[in-house]
Amino acid sequence: MTRKRAVSGRKTITKSWISWPWLLKLATVLLVLGAVAMVYLDAQIRHRFEGHRWSLPAKVYARPLELFTGQQLAHGQLNYELKQLGYRWVNQVKAPGQVQKTAAGIAIYSRGFRFADGDQSSRLAQVNIINGKVQALRQLNDQPIAVLRLEPQLVGGIYPAHNEDRELIQLDDLPNGFIETLLAVEDRQYYQHYGVSPWGIARAMWANLQAGAIVQGGSTLTQQLVKNFYLTDRQSLWRKLVEAPMALLLNLHYSKDEVLEVYLNEVFVGQAGKRAIHGFGLASRFYFGQPVSELRLHQVALLVGLVKGASYYNPQRHPKRAKLRRNLVLSILAQQGFISESQKQQYQALPLDLSTAQQVSRYPAYLDVVRQQLQQHYPASALSSHGLRIFTSLDPWIQQQSDLAMRGQVKQLQQQHEGLESLQGALVVSQRDSGELLALVGDKDGGYAGHNWALDKTRQVGSLVKPVVHLSALESGRYHLMSAVDDGPIAVPQADGSVWKPQNYDLTSHGVVPMYQALVKSYNQANVRLGIDVGVKRVVAQLQRLGAEGNIPAYPSVLLGAVEMSPLNVNQVYQTIAGNGFYSPLTLVRQVTEANGVLLSHFPYAVRQAASNESVYLLQQEMRKVATAGTARGVYRYLPKQQQVAAKTGTTNDQRDSWFSGFSGQYVATTWLGREDAKPTPLTGASGALKVWGELMKNLAYTPYQDIKPQSVDYYYLNPKTGKAMPSRCADGVWLPIQKQLAPVTTKQCGY
Amino acid sequence: MNVSNELAAVPRLPMLAVVMLISACAGPGYGPIVQDLSVTARASERLSPSGQASTAVVQPASAALPKLQPQAPAVTITAQPQTSQIEAANVVKVQPVQQIKPVATISPSPVTAVVLPASDQRVVEQLLAEADQLKAQGKVTQSVIQLQRAQRIAPREPKVYARLAALQLSLGEASRAEQLALKGLTLVPQQNNYQYYFWKLIAASRSHLGDVSGESAAISEAAKYK
Repeated sequence: MTRKRAVSGRKTITKSWISWPWLLKLATVLLVLGAVAMVYLDAQIRHRFEGHRWSLPAKVYARPLELFTGQQLAHGQLNYELKQLGYRWVNQVKAPGQVQKTAAGIAIYSRGFRFADGDQSSRLAQVNIINGKVQALRQLNDQPIAVLRLEPQLVGGIYPAHNEDRELIQLDDLPNGFIETLLAVEDRQYYQHYGVSPWGIARAMWANLQAGAIVQGGSTLTQQLVKNFYLTDRQSLWRKLVEAPMALLLNLHYSKDEVLEVYLNEVFVGQAGKRAIHGFGLASRFYFGQPVSELRLHQVALLVGLVKGASYYNPQRHPKRAKLRRNLVLSILAQQGFISESQKQQYQALPLDLSTAQQVSRYPAYLDVVRQQLQQHYPASALSSHGLRIFTSLDPWIQQQSDLAMRGQVKQLQQQHEGLESLQGALVVSQRDSGELLALVGDKDGGYAGHNWALDKTRQVGSLVKPVVHLSALESGRYHLMSAVDDGPIAVPQADGSVWKPQNYDLTSHGVVPMYQALVKSYNQANVRLGIDVGVKRVVAQLQRLGAEGNIPAYPSVLLGAVEMSPLNVNQVYQTIAGNGFYSPLTLVRQVTEANGVLLSHFPYAVRQAASNESVYLLQQEMRKVATAGTARGVYRYLPKQQQVAAKTGTTNDQRDSWFSGFSGQYVATTWLGREDAKPTPLTGASGALKVWGELMKNLAYTPYQDIKPQSVDYYYLNPKTGKAMPSRCADGVWLPIQKQLAPVTTKQCGY
Repeated sequence: MNVSNELAAVPRLPMLAVVMLISACAGPGYGPIVQDLSVTARASERLSPSGQASTAVVQPASAALPKLQPQAPAVTITAQPQTSQIEAANVVKVQPVQQIKPVATISPSPVTAVVLPASDQRVVEQLLAEADQLKAQGKVTQSVIQLQRAQRIAPREPKVYARLAALQLSLGEASRAEQLALKGLTLVPQQNNYQYYFWKLIAASRSHLGDVSGESAAISEAAKYK
């Protein structure tokens, strides 16, 4: 560089009238200044190149799909998951990321992945599937495979303010032909020049002169990297000046491969909203939904073509333009002899092959909670810059079905009823025993416009509280499912001297009813009487043990659900009931690891008993009856008869809120619908929220409901009028489990 | 200034050199584009990414979701020694302020001798075997992760609860072990071997917790199934 300046200096002299001694002094000063500048630039280069190169957003992953013998998949689920993961259907699987239809199912060549518990290697598996059920998993040599864990879907990131996103790759990750293509187009002399290429500049100038316009740039890859990596994007004097010397220095300090690797990760290749797509690793995921190692030459050509102008050649927005550019790149490859003329034509005839999978950031409500939870444990800077890997329990299939169910049903309800323009909704789905949150819908559109209705908003829960009243009664040891409860009119004196007179929904009293009937038919008067007898305080305490949050004052009106909860919190309470009375906190983050896989955090499964197994079992049987014969029986318009579920509807005063919560063998789900302004709606729990719930459950994999009867209860065939156990030949009896300690009187005659 | 006087008369390139120098000395106004967030770790704080240290890295955070007040201490981020490897350059060392409780020495569980029936799901047996292997390698946390993986696949398989509870007890998490065993009990009302196993494990957990009456109650329950 110094020499270069000296040369330029001499040119100046010839025109100048400044005397020789002056010039000598000047040259010395400049030499010193230049040297100082070089030292400074050198420090800059080394600092950035060897330090923490990029702020990497944390990556958020969904749960990986695990395939094993006996597993039931929902209709269409496997294809959806494979598509989201960017698997390619081929006639003969040969490489990771490929799938093939076979006579008995499919062959999947999984990609390897580094999980929090260790590396999962890539493997080829034959999967036999009949009616959505995995019959067998085998390797090619017929050895059975116990479980095939696919890599998890990347569902989002936690972005820093400037929203630069990238996925780091190394030279080894690139497919054959990538480097050749990149260098052929951008810098043919890369491995020969010293960071700057006078020959390249000359060639570019010649080409530009010939064309009469700028058709080629003379910048080397090294210079391009310097420009993007060290210098601001502005065209400034300073930048022009230091670009070349910095490129020379970079070239001096680091190997060609090292510089190229950084270039591959730095280059700007697209914009998605606020998110800037940097590096070919992320570009490959972004445009093709595949890791870069799996790209074929026509895809490589497209990515390399994007370097010239990522927005101008944006293949999503300007597919024709992008294809022309891609084909030009392929022509250059042919010109330079990398591919034959016929190969060129083959590749040019291929479509762009862009990913058809839905892009990331489709899970705003879920990711919102992930972010909130992580912020308790990690500083914001760590989340947005250190490339942490966050493994969540998000189930992409269930999330997709939840969004669809919510959107479809809300739309239908809005068409059927007047005044539901501002109808909002929330849906929470968790796994029954683990307590992991699988899906979260925080808005009627599945979008997210500021409020997460599943989380931020609390509403009165209405009759959803009744199972807790029943649980408290059963826990008292004084009640069984056939206990007589009076559904007559009731007046409850309040603390302020007033009298509360709750009424039934149908404004009718039903006399003395068996306890289970009070829940099945959701009778208000009987349930209030039951709760008063057990004690409001006990009911509230039970509700809190099940997981209800916040301060709940023990007013009698709580017995009918005058307690505000978020859908998420309601789901927590029902989760505990579904989990045999064991509370386990709803979680979404499974593990956090560093970028290189080192485990940082892990959230261990923990439970806490919140009610006796016996009482919870009895309550679950009551709730099963609610679904088969009570207010929730509408679910069987969606579900097959043999699918057992336990559930409860909820409707609040003037039908402001429509609730539904319940569980199947594997899932616990809670739905809420209501107007944004909390004004009355035409919807009850059964005519609103139930529909979303039913539509969702219909589309999830069917798993049997495993009922495990405790030894302390027995089943009896009971006369609902007398509560006595009678012979099974008698008509109009009901099979119910009763605690052994409260065994009913047995009669040999029917009707008594 | 001498230099500028001289330069006033000199056109173009030398002028640029000065601009260059002045800009170069300007300091904070100009610098690398991306903020460098790393700080150097004190040697004593550095965590080894492998081996037995892996348990120490793990933060035993309770993940109760709806509670939004901070529960676990924040973590400090420290940087690894600089290297030009791309992968390594971005490695972050996260150091929990509070270390996990040292593994309590609980004498070999009295119930490990009980042979539990094999699960009828091949995948469960495989994952349990992997969990055992990890534990034998000292990777206790990874072992727990494998067990939880098995639990998700077979959420009502009592053997998974038995292993989870036993592992928690061996880690000194007696209360957690007791509760897991209690849940396990609800899955096996008819299976004497499991009833015995879980009650023995509950007794051992309660003993560890100092719950004497609870322990003897559990022991007499276990006796019913021997």
